[in-house]
Amino acid sequence: MWLRTLDTLFFLLFIVILVFTTHGIAQAPTVRFVDGESKTLTDVESTLHQGIIYLPVETLKTVFDPEMTHPYHHPKKQLTLKTKGKELRLQMGETTVNIDSEKEPFILNSPPRVLQGQPMLPIEFFQKVLPRLDDVAVLYNRTLQRVRIMPKTVWAPETTDDTHEWVIIIDPGHGGKDDLGCKSQNGVIEKDVVLAVGKEIQRLGNQQGLSIRLTRDQDVKKSRIQRVQTTNRNQGQLFLSLHCNASFSPNHKGMRLYINNPNGQLRFKAAPIPVFGKKRLNILTQANFLKQSQDFASVLQKELNFLAEDPIVISEFPIIILADVYMPAVLLELGYLSNVDDATRLSNPNHIVQVAETIVRAIQIYSVSVNQSANPNGL
Amino acid sequence: MQYFRKIVHSRLFVIWGITLVTIIICLAVTLVLISHAKRIRIVDAPPKLPTTANPTDIVPAPQQINIFLLNPTSLEIAPVKAELSLYPEPTKRLKQIVSALIQEAPPDYRNPIPRGTLLNEVYVDSQKTAYLDFSHHLADGHIGGTTAELLTVTAILKTVFDAFPNEIKHVQILIDGREKETLAGHLNLSQPLRF
Repeated sequence: MWLRTLDTLFFLLFIVILVFTTHGIAQAPTVRFVDGESKTLTDVESTLHQGIIYLPVETLKTVFDPEMTHPYHHPKKQLTLKTKGKELRLQMGETTVNIDSEKEPFILNSPPRVLQGQPMLPIEFFQKVLPRLDDVAVLYNRTLQRVRIMPKTVWAPETTDDTHEWVIIIDPGHGGKDDLGCKSQNGVIEKDVVLAVGKEIQRLGNQQGLSIRLTRDQDVKKSRIQRVQTTNRNQGQLFLSLHCNASFSPNHKGMRLYINNPNGQLRFKAAPIPVFGKKRLNILTQANFLKQSQDFASVLQKELNFLAEDPIVISEFPIIILADVYMPAVLLELGYLSNVDDATRLSNPNHIVQVAETIVRAIQIYSVSVNQSANPNGL
Repeated sequence: MQYFRKIVHSRLFVIWGITLVTIIICLAVTLVLISHAKRIRIVDAPPKLPTTANPTDIVPAPQQINIFLLNPTSLEIAPVKAELSLYPEPTKRLKQIVSALIQEAPPDYRNPIPRGTLLNEVYVDSQKTAYLDFSHHLADGHIGGTTAELLTVTAILKTVFDAFPNEIKHVQILIDGREKETLAGHLNLSQPLRF
C-alpha cells in the first residue's frame, strides 16, 4: 500500500518537473541564413520561447564572423562577444546590449536567454545589432524563416547619382468597377492588391529619394493607351507593371517576372517594316530596351527570390502592357490568387510592405549599376 | 330485378349513354384525320437521296488526334488522345479538332478554355495562317492572370500545330470576328502567333 502511494507521488512529481522545464519552450522551424547572392550559408535549428525565435550564439561565427570569441560566465550569466574589433556585453534575461564603441546601450525587445542549457540570442539581435557592428544589412523573412546578410554597399541609396533624377513608373494593373482582375476564393481582388503594393512602393521609394509615379493611385479604370501615355510622357527610367496571377490549377504558386519579347517563347508573325518614301522608318519600340529590361528583371528576380519559396522564373512573351513603353519594362506577377497560400500571403499587409521594400531595393540596385556603368570612374 | 329496371329507365342512364356515344364518334373522327395527314406527308416527301455522295461529305472511320489540356500535376499543357471522325477537307478538320478542344476535359485534366466558349468559324489563308474565331466567352469568361492566358493560348496553338504541322504556320485568335489585343490584359494577341 505504502509503495503504491509512493510510486504515484513520484510519477506526479516527474510530470510537474517535466511541465515546468519544458514550459514555453518548443522546437521552432529551421532558420536559413543566405548571403547577398541568396546562396545558403547555413541552416540553424532554432528554439521557440514565448513566441520568440532564439538561435545559438555559435551561429554568429558561421554567418557573421568566424573569428568571433564568446566567453560565457555561467554563475553571473554574462555573455561577452568579441567581434569585428568590438566588445559586446549581454546579461541573460536582460534586454540591454552594451557595445564598447557606443556610449548608450542598445535595447532589444526580447532578452537573450539560457535555453536548453546554453545561451541563446533572439533573432532580433541578428537583425538590429549586426548592422551596428559591421557594414552589413540584415533582412528577415518571417514567412520562410530566412535571414539574408549582405554588404550594405550593395543597395545603399546614397550611391545614386544626384544629378540624374530617376523617375520610376509603377503600373498597378486593372482597376475600376468593371476590371477587377483575378479573384481568390476568399475574396482577395487583384486590383486592390496591386494598388496597395504600388502605393507602398511610392511611399518607400520617395523616402529613399526616388521619384515614383503611379499610372493609377485610386480604384479607377485606365485603358492601356492611357497607361502607356502616362508612362511615356513622364519619361521614366523604369517601368514596372504589377499584377496578380491565376491558373486553372490551384497548384500553381509563386511570383513570376515577364518581359515583352515578340520573338520569345511565343513568336509574332514577322510584321513588314514601315517605309516612308524610300527610307525605312526606325520606330522606337520596346525591343530597343530588351537588354535593359532583362537586366532589371534579373535584379528583381535576385532580390525577390529572398521572399519566394521557389526560385522566381523570368519569361519572355509578347506582353501587351509593355509593348509600347519606351524604357526598360517588366511585368511582375506577385502571386497566384488561385492558390490558397499565395492568396493568404497577398492579403497580409506585412507581406505587402515586405514586397514593396524589396522592389524599392531592386530599383536602387539597378539604378546604381546603370549609373556606375555610365560613369565607371565615379566622376 | 325491379332495382335493375329502375336503373335502366332512369334519366341518369340516358345521359351517360349519350356522352359515351359522343366520345366514340370524336375518337373515330380523330383517327380518320390522323390517317389522312399521314397520307399527305408521304405524298410530300422529298425524292430519294442519290446513291453517290460528294466525296468531301463522306465521314470516314474515327481517327486518333491529340487535344492539349492542362495536367494539374505536372502543371503543363499535355496531349490527351481523342477519337474523331475527321473530314478530309482541312478547314472542316480544323473546325472539328478545335471544337473538340473546347469540350469538357477528362476528369484528370483541366481545360484552359473558359466554359461556354464556342468556335464560330475557322479560316486558313494562303500564308498558312489559321484564323480561329471564338465567341466572346473566351475573353469575357477568362479567369485572368498571365499564366492562365498563356495556358489558354498554348493549348489552342499546340492542338492546331500538332494536327497540322505543315499546313498551318501561325494562328490568329479572333473574338466574335474581330482581332482582340488580349484575352485578360496580359498576353498580346494582336498578331498571328507561333512557337
